[in-house]
Amino acid sequence: MIMTRQLQKHYGRVQALDGLEIEVPDGAIYGFIGQNGAGKTTTLRILAGLLVPDGGSAEVAGYDVVCNPRAVRNILGYMPDFFGVYDDLRVGEYLLFYAAAHGIRRQAAQKLRDDLLELVELADKRDEFVDSLSRGMQQRLCLARALVHDPQVLLLDEPASGLDPVARVEMREILKELRRLGKTILISSHILSELADLCTHIGMIADGRLVRQGPLLQMVEASQLQKIMLRCHGDAAPAVKVLECWPGVTALQTVNDRIELQLAGGAQEAAALLKELVLAGAAVAHYSIQEHTLEDAFMQLARG
Amino acid sequence: MKKIFRIWQDFGEGLRNGLVPMLSKEMRGRTRNWRGPLLLSIYLAVLGGCVVLFLWLNSRGSTVIPQVGLILYSILVFALMLLLGAIAAVVAATAISGERERRTYDLLLVTRASLAGIVLGKWLASVVYLLFLAIAALPVLGVVYFFGGMPLKNVAVALGLCLMTGLGYGALGLAFSAIFRRSQTAIIVSLITVFGLIFGTLIISAIVVAGNPQVSYNPEMTPQITPPQYVFLSPVVTMASVLPGSGQGAVSSFSGIAQRLAGGPGMTSYAMGGSSMLVMSGGPGSGFPTGYTGTKVVKGLAGWAPLAKFTLYQSLLALASLLVATFAINPLRPWLMWQARRRSMKQAANLSG
Repeated sequence: MIMTRQLQKHYGRVQALDGLEIEVPDGAIYGFIGQNGAGKTTTLRILAGLLVPDGGSAEVAGYDVVCNPRAVRNILGYMPDFFGVYDDLRVGEYLLFYAAAHGIRRQAAQKLRDDLLELVELADKRDEFVDSLSRGMQQRLCLARALVHDPQVLLLDEPASGLDPVARVEMREILKELRRLGKTILISSHILSELADLCTHIGMIADGRLVRQGPLLQMVEASQLQKIMLRCHGDAAPAVKVLECWPGVTALQTVNDRIELQLAGGAQEAAALLKELVLAGAAVAHYSIQEHTLEDAFMQLARG
Repeated sequence: MKKIFRIWQDFGEGLRNGLVPMLSKEMRGRTRNWRGPLLLSIYLAVLGGCVVLFLWLNSRGSTVIPQVGLILYSILVFALMLLLGAIAAVVAATAISGERERRTYDLLLVTRASLAGIVLGKWLASVVYLLFLAIAALPVLGVVYFFGGMPLKNVAVALGLCLMTGLGYGALGLAFSAIFRRSQTAIIVSLITVFGLIFGTLIISAIVVAGNPQVSYNPEMTPQITPPQYVFLSPVVTMASVLPGSGQGAVSSFSGIAQRLAGGPGMTSYAMGGSSMLVMSGGPGSGFPTGYTGTKVVKGLAGWAPLAKFTLYQSLLALASLLVATFAINPLRPWLMWQARRRSMKQAANLSG
């Protein structure tokens, strides 16, 4: 549904995108992960037709975003990371304004407004002024605005940024509902735990280049490191001594009586380490291998 | 043929998608926030202040000026013209830069509204607001009728001229609003440009005429001089020509000053009659170092009545400004799009090859 080929963009001397190649399958929720300044927003702005790439190409549903921006706009909804609202419009009027800007007739637009406000749970706020809404409500309203012309594809740039935990949960539920409706969603975020709960695919970007992309499960399992947590009964020194010398052990840290570490390899290596700890006289009371998370995979890639 | 029809259809659709919602939103916004009523209050206070000040000054003298109604009318119309010109420029100067500052600009650009539709919607909204301001000024202008002597036709023409001033300068403000990212910058540049067009053109014209070696105090030796066309970018000269009595050799001091600045004391035009005859007359004792004599029928654009010329120039200014604004708000610069298209086509050819 979305595809970029050798996408390049620079701002002066800063290379924002350096041959980025992403591929978002139809109906997928694609989490676009990267550190600040990695090029996520630039990619989304190019796809939305707000920036012209310096090189390469980008397509949405087979339409080139530069050659056919009008066709792309018809099938694409965009929600920027920072956005404003018209403070002199009411919630319902705000949606009607964008519906009219998308060429939707008034009667159809009124029905659409009610449906969308229902979807984002703002139906009771219809006659309130937009600037009287909380940040979370404004985010939801902006999402409703992006959906006003029933686009096939949604580009969401940090939709949960600046939201409190309750508002984040609400936003996540709405996105899940959109997934059920069959929308293809490209969502950029740095709240990895939420993406893991929501996305079907993940793309990791660093310095304007794609580091890795694929189905979520595959990405998480691709991590070569396993997180181990152990607790000793009594003196932990023998255990720490073993761990410090054991090959493949990284990120070793002791927190109270708890020892955390990362170990290269699989279950076999973890079992061998436990055996060695016991043989060294460490009184191991608890030994657990924690599940891989998206955060681990990202941190591993970020650290190179 | 089908393709051309499709292009026209798309163009019309994009225009409507921008124009209709933008116009209704802007008008609704102006009636809802505090800025609209405040601006209207200041505007009416200035006009009302002009009337009160003039009547107070007039009542202090022991003699009664017979043309008091005409002079008051001239002052009011001049003030109205300046106010509408400035307000149009300021209101339009915040239209697009305001969208950028509010961060609603991107949201607007990803809709199906065309850029021309957005710009036209913004411009027409300011036009409607100007119309509202012009109508709001009618009761103040009505004070003139206490003194009599003012044909209704003159009031209508003067109001039309003020509106035309607002249309052109409003479009200019919109262009600056599209060019500059900050509203403050756009407002300052717009006001400087507008006042430059209103007064600067006249001052330049006066300097040029005064510096003309052919112009002398001796009327016999001075050839007939056509006033420079750029003075018609200012509404002042045209306003002077439509004030009552200007055709008979200047009634009010305003009319006289404007004519002198524009190119000589004798530059009077029978604009009200719709004639294209420009008459250059005057002579010694006029208090201005020129000596235009005789009459001359000027053909072509130079011979147009000032009102017609001003209308033409304001329309051209509005058109050019709207085109600049439409170009400036386009995030995809045409040359960059052209390059990108070429690249895309090459890439597609490489893939298929």
